[in-house]
Amino acid sequence: MSGGTLRADACVIGAGAGGAVVAAELAEGGANVVVLEQGPEHDPDGFTARPPQMLARLYRDGGQTVTLGLPPIGLPLGRGVGGTTLVNSGTCFRTPGHVLERWRREFGLELDEDSLGPCFQRVERALSVAEVTRELAGRNAAVIRRGAERLGWSHGYLKRNARGCVGSGVCAFGCPTSAKQHAGITYVPRARAAGANVLTGADARRVLVRGRRAEGVQAAVADGRELQVLAPIVVIAAGTIHTPILLARNGLGGASGQLGRNLSLHPATAAVARMEEVVDMARGVPQSLYVDEFAREGLMFETIAGPPAYAAMSLPLTGRRHAEAMTAYRQLAQLGLMVSDSGRGHIRLGRRPLIRYDLGSAETEKFRAGIVRLDQLLRAAGAREVYLPLPPAVAPERARPRDLRLMAFHPLGTARADARPAHGVVDGDLAVHGIAGLHIADGSVVPSALGVNPQLTIMALATRLAFHLLGAGCPS
Amino acid sequence: MSARRTLNPALAEFVAAGPWPQRTVMRALLALAGRPRALALLGLLDAGDQAIEGVVAMGRYDEPEVSRGLGWDAEAVVVRGRELRRLEDRP
Repeated sequence: MSGGTLRADACVIGAGAGGAVVAAELAEGGANVVVLEQGPEHDPDGFTARPPQMLARLYRDGGQTVTLGLPPIGLPLGRGVGGTTLVNSGTCFRTPGHVLERWRREFGLELDEDSLGPCFQRVERALSVAEVTRELAGRNAAVIRRGAERLGWSHGYLKRNARGCVGSGVCAFGCPTSAKQHAGITYVPRARAAGANVLTGADARRVLVRGRRAEGVQAAVADGRELQVLAPIVVIAAGTIHTPILLARNGLGGASGQLGRNLSLHPATAAVARMEEVVDMARGVPQSLYVDEFAREGLMFETIAGPPAYAAMSLPLTGRRHAEAMTAYRQLAQLGLMVSDSGRGHIRLGRRPLIRYDLGSAETEKFRAGIVRLDQLLRAAGAREVYLPLPPAVAPERARPRDLRLMAFHPLGTARADARPAHGVVDGDLAVHGIAGLHIADGSVVPSALGVNPQLTIMALATRLAFHLLGAGCPS
Repeated sequence: MSARRTLNPALAEFVAAGPWPQRTVMRALLALAGRPRALALLGLLDAGDQAIEGVVAMGRYDEPEVSRGLGWDAEAVVVRGRELRRLEDRP
């Protein structure tokens, strides 16, 4: 795409979970839509099922985004058409009812299970969401299920957006069979078929505003040329980390003082068990089974797995012990722990985002309890040995933040929705307070941790926004 | 474990894709990890040691002959995927 000027009814920035959905629904509703996606369009023929290469090619900064704080936490983010839906595990949960109730109470958001239900149904149909079967879940899930059953803990197979999955075991590294129904192969083709112009390599720089009304977007495209998209509706969907950067660069959305604040993550860790039996963890769906016995305490357990390179990276051992455990790779099983936080982080709003996040005492306590549960479950499943994500001499009950080996997923909240302009960046209809025609449709508007994977919540909210902009209700 | 031995093209691509502070630190640590004495010193820094060992290990176990020995054949997974996409007209 060379430079110049385009005119549209709506300009959408980003083609991930939020942007792709808004673009498709608007275009199918008759709107003339332009989508500006900063990253490339990935060709599945280039997916190699090799973690280092795929991290380098499919993730922002090669999957090496790290938070500043104690402890430093890896925060992998997808980049390109499909956004993080291209590289997530495909897990689909609706927003829990108690979370919606909290949003109504604390943020004045009139959302409930009944009003969002049609949006969820529409997204679930579009993504072919279905529960993983026992056969497809693989032996890693069978091990974890056995442990949960022996302990009497609540558990179940996860719902996922997949069709024709054969359990390749590399969801996070580009699905080689295109079974995962990510936004790039579901909503983006629908948007194109309805006439949307989806531009890749288009870096949105300026949101054009006149007299407190959005008028369009200015972007850098190929060869550094400049493109203007003139549109009375602008939807920013650049993701929780980058949406506040774009807004701040344009002096927008900052009136409440909440822009870039309230960053919520799901900090996560995992334990590995050496079993007697052959597990072959990468054969089957990596994230296929959950254990929600302690969900009300903010602890969610989900199976995770991957090929040897992934296991080697995540195994909490060093030196000879690491090598010995890897020799038994075929007998390794793994279970992840995800903790709900209280939104303590923030983004420093510079040219590049600096993500500041310190683990609070409440979250540290959850990790202590959660690691004890990981150990308990894996031993109940029959583990010969359990490798906990802690230094050798540290007992889970005494773990300090610096002892924990953490990754984090599902960043939310940096442009949070609140019906009151003094408390949030967008209102309940995801319109930026005080700027007509400017909306946000990504995880940044989600005002609190969900305790579950957020892609369905983001997509349902984006669906609701699209139909609101079309002046219609979401069809049931 | 020698960094020179384990820095295969896939791992080099991974390191190169990182943001510049990590990229620079990673390259320096990988160079140190290739020298036994430096590796011992690195072992004194627990976090740095674990991080660099994790990256080196990812590279080592990504090598096709190593991963095949552990029952994982990335090439076969890719070929099956390509075939399924062709047969079923998937995107």
